[in-house]
Amino acid sequence: MAKVVVITSGKGGVGKTTSCASIGTALAMQGFRTVLIDFDVGLRNLDLVMGCERRVVYDLINVLSGEAKLSQALIKDKRLDGLYMLPASQTRDKDALTLEGVEEIINELKEDFDYIVCDSPAGIERGALLAMYFAEEAVIVTNPEVSSVRDSDRIIGLLDSKTRMAEQGQAVPSRLLITRYNPERVEQAEMMSVQDIEEILAIPLVGVVPESEAVLKASNQGIPVVHDQESDAGQAYSDMTARFLGEEREMRFTEIEKKGFFSRMFGGRR
Amino acid sequence: MKMFRKLFEREEVHSADVARERLKLMLSQDRLQRQQPDFLPRLQKELVEVIRRYTQSSQDEIQISCHALPQRSQIEVNVSWPRNT
Repeated sequence: MAKVVVITSGKGGVGKTTSCASIGTALAMQGFRTVLIDFDVGLRNLDLVMGCERRVVYDLINVLSGEAKLSQALIKDKRLDGLYMLPASQTRDKDALTLEGVEEIINELKEDFDYIVCDSPAGIERGALLAMYFAEEAVIVTNPEVSSVRDSDRIIGLLDSKTRMAEQGQAVPSRLLITRYNPERVEQAEMMSVQDIEEILAIPLVGVVPESEAVLKASNQGIPVVHDQESDAGQAYSDMTARFLGEEREMRFTEIEKKGFFSRMFGGRR
Repeated sequence: MKMFRKLFEREEVHSADVARERLKLMLSQDRLQRQQPDFLPRLQKELVEVIRRYTQSSQDEIQISCHALPQRSQIEVNVSWPRNT
């Protein structure tokens, strides 16, 4: 039974696309047939983070307006079997983005995939509302920063009212993913802690991804950071996806690392 | 001298605590506002106009509040006015 998941946040630049790429990749690594849909029409980026930007021929809008078949627009990941993505359009023609059109695409994808992961654009406009409308699960990406937390709260409110599940009187199960976490700054009381954010937003925590150099490096190269299993962020996304799938895993990277003699001398990878 | 002071002076209020408190306050307002129907401000304004036409109540003698009950929403209107003695 296919499941539609939305990765959303309200605020931009908190790591939705990075998270979407890594969660999708991690799901495919677990053997689930997974498709990622970029809903950020006009500002597509998921293709870059996934490293398939040069293979984009058709996009979401082309499919919605009938210029291409869904199978023509889907791009197969070059590293993993069973992982595909549907890029957003670079043109600004958002009028083709309709509820009926999106529903048709999602229904078609449901026949062929286990997970349909929707990368929401920032904001609360049509693209964001459409990305969440059919969601059966949500991951709220939040930074430990006031505006991000506030926007996440707004998005949680929209998930509770503007989705199909909400219209049917159900709540979309939503879970919190904190990214760009810096335990040192939390220790200095310069950054809100995981517990603070959890308490304020009052949804269950699914993962914490530390601020990490590996994230930029990965997106520079177009390789989702979860492929870099030596990095803290890569491991955090693996953990997070395992928890998302129901496995119990202890939170890591939320405390200051006790550095051993060698890593202190030679600088461990962070 | 400034550098010296920076070295030894600990910030008294931790900014993370400030952030948390500001957010809690902000979100309680946000959430309340979100539950209210969009027409509430207009309804409030019109109700006040109508009531004042009859009672000559002052602005703060008319209190209109909106409550979200589990199944329904409710507005509560409290009006008082000076009795003619």
